[in-house]
Amino acid sequence: MKILIVEDEVELLILISNYLTKEGYVCELAKSYQKAEDKVLIYQYDIIMLDIGLPDGNGLDLLNIISKTNIQAGIIIVSAKNSIEDKIKGLDLGADDYMTKPFQLSELNSRIRAVLRRRKFKGNSLLKFNEISIDTANKEVKINGIALVFTKKEYDMLLYFVINKNRVLTKEAIAEHLWDDNIDMANNFDFIYTHLNNIRRKIKKAGGNNYIKTIYAMGYKFTDQ
Amino acid sequence: MKFISKINKQYFWTLILLLIGISFIGYFILKGILEKELREDIFEKEFAIINEIRSTGKLPNLYPIIETREIVKLKAQPKSFNTIYLYDNAEDENEPYIEYTNTVAINHHYYLIKLRHSLVENDELIIAIAIPLLILLILTFAISYILTKKMNKTIWKDFEHNLSEIENFSFNNKQTLVLKQTNIEEFDKLNVVIKTLSNKLQRDYETLKEFSENASHEIQTPLSIILMNLEELLQEDIPEEALKYVVKSINAVKRLSTLNKSLVLMTKIENGQFNTNAKTSVNDVTKEKIEEFTPLFKNNNIQLRLEEKGEFILNIEKQLVEILVNNLLSNAIKHNLSDGFIHITIEDSTLQICNSGEKNTLTNNTIFKRFIKENSPSYGLGLAIVKQLCNLSKSTITYSNYDNTHCFTLTKKENNKNKLL
Repeated sequence: MKILIVEDEVELLILISNYLTKEGYVCELAKSYQKAEDKVLIYQYDIIMLDIGLPDGNGLDLLNIISKTNIQAGIIIVSAKNSIEDKIKGLDLGADDYMTKPFQLSELNSRIRAVLRRRKFKGNSLLKFNEISIDTANKEVKINGIALVFTKKEYDMLLYFVINKNRVLTKEAIAEHLWDDNIDMANNFDFIYTHLNNIRRKIKKAGGNNYIKTIYAMGYKFTDQ
Repeated sequence: MKFISKINKQYFWTLILLLIGISFIGYFILKGILEKELREDIFEKEFAIINEIRSTGKLPNLYPIIETREIVKLKAQPKSFNTIYLYDNAEDENEPYIEYTNTVAINHHYYLIKLRHSLVENDELIIAIAIPLLILLILTFAISYILTKKMNKTIWKDFEHNLSEIENFSFNNKQTLVLKQTNIEEFDKLNVVIKTLSNKLQRDYETLKEFSENASHEIQTPLSIILMNLEELLQEDIPEEALKYVVKSINAVKRLSTLNKSLVLMTKIENGQFNTNAKTSVNDVTKEKIEEFTPLFKNNNIQLRLEEKGEFILNIEKQLVEILVNNLLSNAIKHNLSDGFIHITIEDSTLQICNSGEKNTLTNNTIFKRFIKENSPSYGLGLAIVKQLCNLSKSTITYSNYDNTHCFTLTKKENNKNKLL
């Protein structure tokens, strides 16, 4: 998977590309409008992460070029502005998602995967982790071939865990992923625990292992190590 | 008090005092003149009588005007004027007379001459003076009233126009203040001062707005860097104690970011940067949000009841209605009791969300203020945003609590125009 990251803040650029490289993506970087334009005109990408607040141009203009040159690319707009108008405009111009700074890397990964799923349906809608397989096309979870019934939130949570496997995820990050960031539920994370227990119970009942490890009551990690 | 009425009032009192003064002076002057004329008249008569006596020797008598008789001796002090009252049959009252007494010697005889002349009564004199003055007073006011009315239409018209321009002026809609030239020096001077002031204020306002917008946005990038670094740190094999610090830092960064976003949102609402012609069904948004929040209701054992008695449409964009309902619902969950309830009622132009909760001291006046939070771990901005969104969508929100029930009622201000549409 080839990703172009357009971001003028070098520090952020490095952080994101290091992380995404670790996750198995091939990253190319552009830290200005000009460089980004050059790249999208020559190369093809699967995902373009586009910061629209560039010092030498508006990222929204770049969207127009991308939609002509990189038709198959999934576009995720990143903005420092939590602006509804920008969001609507961006999505209208063909962007697949809109993220507002600051965001967490695990959330970014999850969004990239979601865009990829939506964009490239053919065959790879299947996500596997040992005995667990998730068919994202019809939102089906199977353990050793046995289909399980999950609620929407349980499914979203499991998917988030599988995508961000081997990473420590805080309760807050999980809550934010499940309920967007406008949920102001400070100190009320019991419901995450309830969902987790349901997931664990259902997987165990189907003969699966418990991969969700609790990290000092602060977060969770989905791992088989 | 209007400027013109103030002037008129002053004018009125001055004029009254002046007229009273003039009346007094006029009264005495007139009285003096009349008396002088009278005396001259009397002397002329006396002269005629003396001549008559001298030539004919007859004593003319015409009561009460002329009285003459012969006397023995001349008075020590001849020529005296007295005011006396004599009964007047015609008017059936005592009338004042001026009585002139003199003793004269004619052809070695002594005569007493008494001449009387009826006096003009004082009250008649006063009336004679007061009536014209009163007429003058009334006329003056009638004229000044008409003039004022006319002036209001001409001189004050431009001033009033400018006043309403200033009143309707807002820094948000980026228009410059346009004031009419009045051709009255004082007003034009005022216009120049106001224009200079408003231009300066507008510049300052724009700079400040730009600064705070940029600051808010620029803050998000370093926050991202902090957050991502902390997140990577979380993945390292570090001891529990250290991990705790990392998680706390992550939460603080998120809190800062949320706070910042909320403030930016509020500023945008205040600046009127949102479309208010949209049509969003509160019913739909509420149902979506309820579905989203269901795990939370279940988790806290909250009984939810939704009653839809009508379709409630707000004229703001869906995202904003989502924030509105989201904040109200979050609030209802956050401040609820375990095994409590949330009752939502939607009518044609009302949304009411009631929840059980502990008693508090918050009132309708304080609850919507920024950073007001009572024993709550949140930021205290949620309801302030709700309030602003209500203002934006031309609705009102009220909070009431009684016993252990807290209710927020959102009501759309109906105007006839909307009803017709």
